[in-house]
Amino acid sequence: MIRLNSSIKFYSSVGLLFVAVFTMTLSSFEKAPDKNGTLRIIFINTANGKPVILRDSLYVNAFGEQYSISKLKYYISNVLIPGSGQLPENDSYHLLNAAEANNNFELSLKEGAYNAIQFLLGVDSLRNCTGAQTGGLDPTNDMFWTWNSGYVMFKLEGTSSSSAADLQRIEHHIGGYKGDNIVAKLIHLNFPATQLLQIKEGGTTQLTIELNLDNYWKNAVEIKISETPLCMSTGILAKKMASNFPGLFSVKSIQSKP
Amino acid sequence: MLFSALKDDGYGAYAPDPLFLKIPPGWPKPATNIFAKNKLTEQGFQLGKKLFFDGRLSKDNETSCASCHQQFASFSTYDHDLSHGVHNSFSTRNAPALVNLAWMTSLHWDGGVNHIEVQPLAPITATNEMGEQLDSILIKLKKDTVYSRMFKAAFGDPQINSQRMLKALAQYTGSLVSSNSKYDKVKRGEASFNAYEQNGYEVFKARCTGCHKEPLFTDNSFRNNGFALNRFKDIGRQQITNNKKDSLKFKVPTLRNVQVSFPYMHDGHVFSLYQVMEHYRAGIIITQPTLDSSLKNRIPMTNKEKNDVVYFLYTLTDSSFLKDARFAPEQIVMRKYSN
Ligand code: HEC
Ligand code: HEC
Repeated sequence: MIRLNSSIKFYSSVGLLFVAVFTMTLSSFEKAPDKNGTLRIIFINTANGKPVILRDSLYVNAFGEQYSISKLKYYISNVLIPGSGQLPENDSYHLLNAAEANNNFELSLKEGAYNAIQFLLGVDSLRNCTGAQTGGLDPTNDMFWTWNSGYVMFKLEGTSSSSAADLQRIEHHIGGYKGDNIVAKLIHLNFPATQLLQIKEGGTTQLTIELNLDNYWKNAVEIKISETPLCMSTGILAKKMASNFPGLFSVKSIQSKP
Repeated sequence: MLFSALKDDGYGAYAPDPLFLKIPPGWPKPATNIFAKNKLTEQGFQLGKKLFFDGRLSKDNETSCASCHQQFASFSTYDHDLSHGVHNSFSTRNAPALVNLAWMTSLHWDGGVNHIEVQPLAPITATNEMGEQLDSILIKLKKDTVYSRMFKAAFGDPQINSQRMLKALAQYTGSLVSSNSKYDKVKRGEASFNAYEQNGYEVFKARCTGCHKEPLFTDNSFRNNGFALNRFKDIGRQQITNNKKDSLKFKVPTLRNVQVSFPYMHDGHVFSLYQVMEHYRAGIIITQPTLDSSLKNRIPMTNKEKNDVVYFLYTLTDSSFLKDARFAPEQIVMRKYSN
């Protein structure tokens, strides 16, 4: 231990010298260290203006088709707050699952006022082909296609009397990361000018984003349950369905807590 | 910091021995660096090997990877067109030989698998192969302290999760390199072909290397070599791309150890190399719209040429690989097949 100590002393004095020189050179053009606060992003899922409750409520889409939902899971990744000087998160792939109570995640962000948020609905192409993953991307989450490698980016399952599929099923597993088949969508949401996203040092700001399923069926394109009860592979149909993704999200509220 | 590093978990210190994937002389670099994010170590390899031979990765606790991938058959299923999965099921494709996987740009006959680490998810979850769920496997492995010890030795702490299991399996399968056949020895100047083999090699270079490219004997492309749609309606590559132009295209298989990996083709319906040669000479269905353009006139060959090509193909047998104790299990494992 004693020997170790003395050598640490030796290296640390060399290190100190180095750090001193280094900070002197840097300090001329580097600002003081960032003061960070926390941004908590909460996702809520709604349909017909009501919160989505799995297996319980019945909802109606724009074509008068009734349906219920048994599974709703999707990936949110590459979150970026423009103007924060931070790169998009790169190792965070958030799997949001309507079956779980806590549909939120947190980011550390520099103090300031921001006017927008940007994220990917889905998993970027690179991460679809870089081998075994863990966390939100762990294949135990049942969002990975094993026979045609790649993530299911958005999964909605349920039943509808309008579905002609076996057991009146709705099974939408939307994925695809290669070339023409890419379904991940960049979502950009502006905050109202009267209510910017305020981040204070040490504080937590809560941003609630709403996913409105009404727009899932009808927005850029029309998805009728009677015509499309099933979509379980990559390709033209999955791409068409994904064109409604950008319209799914809106900012519901921003709350600051000291 | 210091304290946590010293804390004893009962499994000893973490001191992995690094390994390196050797690139045989004259070979290209591997298509992808499969060990870039999965540091190859002796401990990781040994863990992967144990998992490969462990039936607990399957629903019936018997159908290990090795039950379908047998070393003496170059890790294909010996003498079986299709392989046996759990509960008396059959796979719908022939188990390919597992060699030189680090040089492959995609896996499976249709190229549907994009990385060696995620490959095991396909057989593990398929109801006609291992029929198991990842969660259940992890529960079984966590009950076995031998595994806690081996995961610690390979990854630094005893935590068992799917990512580590898959990375360890990839360390084993990715290390299955076969590069010591008579062909390789001839290339290295350590042996020479006899007259038949030499003649077969000349014919092979002229007619076959457009797809079975040396030294790996595959160019990793997908081609239709002229067989009919089979009883499973297996359209091959089209299933992955949804493109009609890819109908009946399959990955060009390596021909290394092809002597012991019979029967042949994606569904194992061709039982001998002589039948394969006869297919190329006279059996190719030339009316298929997606048939490879190089096969439009079939491959004209004399009987002698056909026989000599087969003699040449025998020179791709690497008996040191087929018997390499490094790839063999530590203990005798149950065999599902009585050969
Ligand atoms: C029931 C038999 C069976 C079992 C068990 C099995 N495999 Fe396979 N394996 C196959 C078949 C059949 C294929 C071809 C699959 C295809 O093309 O769709 C294959 C393909 C592969 C390939 C791709 C080879 C190539 O050249 O593309 C690898 C690697 C592989 N298996 C490794 C494994 C591992 C690791 C396990 C254990 C986790 C395993 N296999 C379990 C039958 C099996
Ligand atoms: C146009 C490309 C092409 C050419 C040329 C070609 N092959 Fe093939 N070969 C393939 C494809 C693709 C397969 C797999 C087909 C399948 O699984 O249905 C294959 C399969 C084989 C197999 C079976 C291997 C196994 O493990 O199942 C053998 C043996 C073989 N070819 C030998 C030859 C020989 C010898 C020649 C030259 C006379 C030749 N091939 C020419 C594309 C080609």
